[in-house]
Amino acid sequence: MQIQPVMSVSLSQNRTTIDLKAGLTEPYLIFNIALAGVIMLIMIYSGIFSPDINNYPVVCIHEKLTGEPCVSCGLSHSFSLILRGRIDEAYQWNQNGMRIFIFFAAQFLMRVVFSGAYLSRPDSRKQLISYDITGSSLLFLTAFMPFLIYIFKFC
Amino acid sequence: MEEAKSNSGQNLGIAALVTGIITFVMAVIPCVGMIAIIPGIITIVLAAVGLSQAQRSNSPRGVIMAGLIIGIVATLISFSQYFVAGKFAKNFESDKWPERIEDIVNDVQENVVRDLEDANVSIKVEDGDDKVEINVGTNKSDKEKTLEELEGADTTSNVSIIVTK
Repeated sequence: MQIQPVMSVSLSQNRTTIDLKAGLTEPYLIFNIALAGVIMLIMIYSGIFSPDINNYPVVCIHEKLTGEPCVSCGLSHSFSLILRGRIDEAYQWNQNGMRIFIFFAAQFLMRVVFSGAYLSRPDSRKQLISYDITGSSLLFLTAFMPFLIYIFKFC
Repeated sequence: MEEAKSNSGQNLGIAALVTGIITFVMAVIPCVGMIAIIPGIITIVLAAVGLSQAQRSNSPRGVIMAGLIIGIVATLISFSQYFVAGKFAKNFESDKWPERIEDIVNDVQENVVRDLEDANVSIKVEDGDDKVEINVGTNKSDKEKTLEELEGADTTSNVSIIVTK
C-alpha cells in the first residue's frame, strides 16, 4: 500500500521527460520554435535600430531600381516606432506597419500556445494543426494582402 | 552510425526550415523581396541534401519536407518580384521617363544659358612680342540696369579689343 504512490510518481516523472524529449523531435514543434525565433529576431532588429538616428542597414532594393517607393517602404521605421509606443508616427511611415506587426506578435503567441497544447493534448494533435494552419493562413492573408496585391498586380 | 546519419539529415532539415521561414518573410516584403532569392536557393539546396541523407538512413522527413516546400514557395514569390520591378520600370519608362528627361535637359539648358549670359569671355593670342587680347563681357544684370536707365538704348554685347605690342 505504501509502495504504489511512489511508483506512480516516478512513472509520471518518466512520462513527462519522455514527452518533452519526443516533442523536440516533432516537426511541428521544431517549426514553431524556428518561427518564434525568426519573429524574435525581427523584434530585436526593430528594437536595436532607432528611427531617430535612421541607422537601418536594409535599404529598399525596389526603390533603388525603379526610383519610386514601394508599398513596404518605411516598414522598419514603423516597427521600431510601434515598439517604442509612437503609434501615430508609425502610421505615417507605413500604413500597413501595424497590421504586419500584429501578425508577427499574434504568430509568436500562437507558437507558444499551440506548442503547449500540442504537448499537453496528444489525442487532438491533427485537429490542432489543422486549426493552426487555417488560422495562420487567414491571418497571413489579412495582414499581407496589400503587399500581395502589389506583388501580383504586376505579374 | 545510423543514428548519426539520421541526426545529420535532421539538422540540415532544421537549417532549411529556419532559412525557409526567413526567406518567406523576406519574399513577401517588396523592399527586400528580390534578394530573398539567394536564401531561397540555399534553403532548397539544404533541404535537398537533408532529404537525400534522410532517405539513405530511412529517418523521418517531416521537417525537411516542410523546409523544402517553404523554400520553393518563397523562392517563387521572390522570383516574381523581378517581374514586378521589370513591369514597374517599363510603366515608369513609358509614362514618366521622357517627361523627366525633358525636364532635366531644359533645366541644364537654362543653367548653361544663364551662366553664359553673366560670363566674361577673354581670348588672348600671343605671337612672339605681339599680343592680342579680346574681352567680351555681357554682364546681363548690369545691362538690364542700363536698359532700364536708357530705356532700351543699348542691347548689344560690350566688346573691347586691346592690341599691345
